[in-house]
Amino acid sequence: MSTGIGARVQRKEDKRYITGKGKYTDDVRNESQAYAAFVRSPHAHANVNGIDTSAAMAMDGVIDVLNGQQLTGDGIGNIICGWAITSKDGSPMNMGAWSALATSKVRYVGDAVAVVIAETQALARIAAEAVEVDYEVLPAVAASDKALAGGAALIHDNAPGNLIYDWEIGDGAATDAALAGAAHVTELAVTNNRLSPNAMEPRAAVATFDECDDHYTLYTTSQNPHVARLVLSAFYQVAPENKLRVIAPDVGGGFGSKIFIYPEEITCLWASMKTNRSVKWTSDRSEAFITDAHGRDHITTAKMGFDAAGKIVGFKVDTIANFGAYMSLFSSSVPTYLYATLLSGQYNIENIHCNVRAAYTNTVPVDAYRGAGRPEACFLVERMMETAAREMGKDPTDLRRANFVQEFPHQTPVIMAYDAGDFGANLDQAMAAADVAGFAARKAESAGRGKLRGLGYSSYIEACGIAPSAAVGSLGAGVGLWESAEVRVNPVGTIEVLTGSHSHGQGHETTFAQIVAERFDLPLENVSIVHGDTDKVQFGMGTYGSRSGAVGMSAIVKAMDKVEAKVRKIAAHVLEASEDDIVIEGGQVKVAGTDKAMGWHEVGLSAYTAHNLPPDMEPGLKEGAFYDPANFTFPAGTYICEVEVDPETGVTDIVQFTASDDFGTIINPNIVEGQVHGGIAQGIGQAMLEQVVYDDDAQLVTGSYMDYAMPRASDVPSFSVHHASTTCPNNPLGMKGCGEAGAIGSPPAVINAITDAIGSNDLAMPATPQAVWNAIQAAK
Amino acid sequence: MTNVSMTVNGKAVSREVPDETLLSEFLREHLRLTGTHVGCDTSQCGACVVHVNGKAVKSCSTLAASLDGSQVTTIEGLANGGLHPMQQAFTENHGLQCGFCTPGMIMTSVDMVNRYKADGKELTAQAIRGELAGNICRCTGYHNIVKAVEDAAAKM
Amino acid sequence: MDMSGSYRIGAPRQAVWTALNDAEVLKLCIPGCEEIEQTSPTTMTARVVQKIGPVKARFNGAIELLNVNAPQSYTIKGEGQGGVAGFAKGAADVTLSEDGGETVLEFEARAQVGGKLARIGSRLIDAAAKKVARQFFDNFHDHLNGKDPPGD
Ligand code: FES
Ligand code: FES
Repeated sequence: MSTGIGARVQRKEDKRYITGKGKYTDDVRNESQAYAAFVRSPHAHANVNGIDTSAAMAMDGVIDVLNGQQLTGDGIGNIICGWAITSKDGSPMNMGAWSALATSKVRYVGDAVAVVIAETQALARIAAEAVEVDYEVLPAVAASDKALAGGAALIHDNAPGNLIYDWEIGDGAATDAALAGAAHVTELAVTNNRLSPNAMEPRAAVATFDECDDHYTLYTTSQNPHVARLVLSAFYQVAPENKLRVIAPDVGGGFGSKIFIYPEEITCLWASMKTNRSVKWTSDRSEAFITDAHGRDHITTAKMGFDAAGKIVGFKVDTIANFGAYMSLFSSSVPTYLYATLLSGQYNIENIHCNVRAAYTNTVPVDAYRGAGRPEACFLVERMMETAAREMGKDPTDLRRANFVQEFPHQTPVIMAYDAGDFGANLDQAMAAADVAGFAARKAESAGRGKLRGLGYSSYIEACGIAPSAAVGSLGAGVGLWESAEVRVNPVGTIEVLTGSHSHGQGHETTFAQIVAERFDLPLENVSIVHGDTDKVQFGMGTYGSRSGAVGMSAIVKAMDKVEAKVRKIAAHVLEASEDDIVIEGGQVKVAGTDKAMGWHEVGLSAYTAHNLPPDMEPGLKEGAFYDPANFTFPAGTYICEVEVDPETGVTDIVQFTASDDFGTIINPNIVEGQVHGGIAQGIGQAMLEQVVYDDDAQLVTGSYMDYAMPRASDVPSFSVHHASTTCPNNPLGMKGCGEAGAIGSPPAVINAITDAIGSNDLAMPATPQAVWNAIQAAK
Repeated sequence: MTNVSMTVNGKAVSREVPDETLLSEFLREHLRLTGTHVGCDTSQCGACVVHVNGKAVKSCSTLAASLDGSQVTTIEGLANGGLHPMQQAFTENHGLQCGFCTPGMIMTSVDMVNRYKADGKELTAQAIRGELAGNICRCTGYHNIVKAVEDAAAKM
Repeated sequence: MDMSGSYRIGAPRQAVWTALNDAEVLKLCIPGCEEIEQTSPTTMTARVVQKIGPVKARFNGAIELLNVNAPQSYTIKGEGQGGVAGFAKGAADVTLSEDGGETVLEFEARAQVGGKLARIGSRLIDAAAKKVARQFFDNFHDHLNGKDPPGD
């Protein structure tokens, strides 16, 4: 069986997971392990007038109780947002100070004010209860529009009116003029609901300070251990990079939430030094709801203008984004460069203007969650297209087709240059697979049973393969977004690939090995993937933004190019042939057209014995590469959702969900389809179930799985997943990325389907049975 | 403190533990069997499912002391050498991604198939979805988990 | 959360009023009340244990009587810290009117919870608060009629 590109290879990493041998951060336990428990504010907004730790300190087994004054006193820096956004008046964004432990003020329920270090986890938690904090409660605000309205409580002194930035993109005047001249204008107001990412593995950290070497080791639940080390060193001044090793072992899902560096990791590292003990913290689920960065939370109004023929002439968007109480690591980029730049969708739109205001509120910080900005853009654009089609009495697929971008490359008015795609092909494939032709009959059949059947489309596009470093740098990013790889051929010919990408479920140990095995025509088991440890891997920017394939694998290809060049040189020298005649196949390195050959392992051995190398060649066979993408990649596709609604109860059944994606080259279809399944399930979760709710006092009222509805097996159907691909011209493998598509493309398809079924367009996410029932009643 | 004695994965174990020790803690912290995971604190996610006397139980909401004398099987002890057909089916059908929910999913599914077989009932895809109500997976969208359980049921 | 109600108590208004201002009576009648101490004619401190859904908390709180208009009405305001469980605070406007030899007690209450109580228990708060209120008035009625609730 082939194990190369395109093969459905079973995952190499599975064995340890299915036998219970996976090693996650909470499975790490050091000698004489101490445990941390945080004292967290129950108030959304309060001054901290004093902390009395005496009762906790007096408890047996309590090692220390540490607070924010001590933390900042030791020079631990504030947590920062790494992407600078400039307001349209030229002013920089208003970033408020965020200390890992609050010093004088708490700004959301869950803000940590102190940490207890104790001999057991239970003891630490009990002692945390005994810490008395004197809070002076202040008025609080949870909703972004209320926070920006005059008179709301001021959350950070340096952000007047709670405004972080007021940013725009596109030509406002031209867009206004286009809308004024439009034959038809569709207006739409949408809310993108606030979500909690909920990776099943709660976050955890185990920090160990080694006094002798003045060195720290941190095990953490991270999607990007090197970024964690960089930020912990450069900004939080926990330790210099050479004195800090960050290991992210098996990571139990992330979906963005494990990109960021959180107060807990910083505090555990510092506390380990303070107490000279290894300090471990494991979040429980209710703590996760108030500490893991939330996602989405946009309020948007928009207008789209069409000419008499149904061509889009202009699109104007106004969005308020809720950032929570502090600016998390990449928060600022989400509603700007990851959102507004995708507002052209799959369509040829000459005039687009988008204004975004970002607001502080007394809620958990909000940052990237699967899709990050792109689901918000897609939801708006695809709800808009469906709504406009209904208003103009056009078929929604005809309206889309009439506006599809047909020629590539295509420059949108909002930065992005689409490089390749065939949007019509995906729409055709999805329509055929979903049997759209037979829908009318199915609808009639449902009607016979008193049910309402509806069909909804979503033709999404996203920008992945994040990202060309110079481009993002010019837009304010504080880091480069390349990736690095090292390919080591051992003296016996086996290969280790060290990659800066880091799997948290994506199966890199398999897919990355596939491209190496294919390139050098070796058995898959001869290739091992090493990731997740800053002491082993040279450097890396990590896994998010569907970048591990398009960027991470490209770096491996670049390193393999160098390895291959050296292999050819060695073989040509040993076999006395020309480099150009060397072929690598079947475990051998041969001279084409002759019977001269050496084993792949013999080349490896030659490189390390160095007895007979070409003059001036260095011994060894290991090459590294950094790959900086030339452009974003643009996965796209069409999703079709078919629902049946019970008008008596509002209960909605997804009877069929069809996806046609264009991901470019696919390495392992099993894994790609799995990503799509999971993404769609999360998108259905957003569309129908999930909602983080704060009450008027900014108290979180959805803090457990009893209150926050996660999709369960019976909430989602089996999915019909298809591919119609074009090759990405900008990276060596032609890959586009597949990790976020499902979550981006599916919510509008679901809502378009339900609104089609009930004959009312007024329905917000999540479309719970109650919301659907209310919409049906309101339309009567 | 209480003395808890039970048979875990075929081996007799006995530990002196605080009265309020949950089975999940007993397994993870006292026996260092870390294959059993804890994903929530309200008995909703099923990451912690193990078998007690042959039946699926959420170990996060069961006191270890209440199981004195029981037979407990965890994911580590599901197969005696090699892989259980359910484990095999999960990998063959790509029924796992991050692997965190997987031990609980597999233990729940084995119990499910056993019960249906014992009752002579047909285990349909819909029934599997219903039976998985107490197990959350955030990665797979359940599609391949359902396939894996169907596949294993045919082989068990 | 808002809540209102009215109860008919089989005792004259003055007796009801006196009882409503008596820390000992309140202690007997407030479900889960472990301790109440009068610190001034209009202030008390109290310790109350409540279980709301999966969250059990011992609240240490302060009670204050405002707008006192004897024997007709007052506002009773309370605020309690429940450790990691969070906090609860609320106020109730209580009015007593005479009706024959009996008294009709009407109240309008506003309550707020925070922290873990809000996160996990908020769905259950309304039901729990109503139950506590009903129990309180049942106990109170019984007390005034010489039947004290089974002590703990
Ligand atoms: S950990 Fe047991 S059900 Fe979630
Ligand atoms: S595989 Fe990650 S939660 Fe199920």
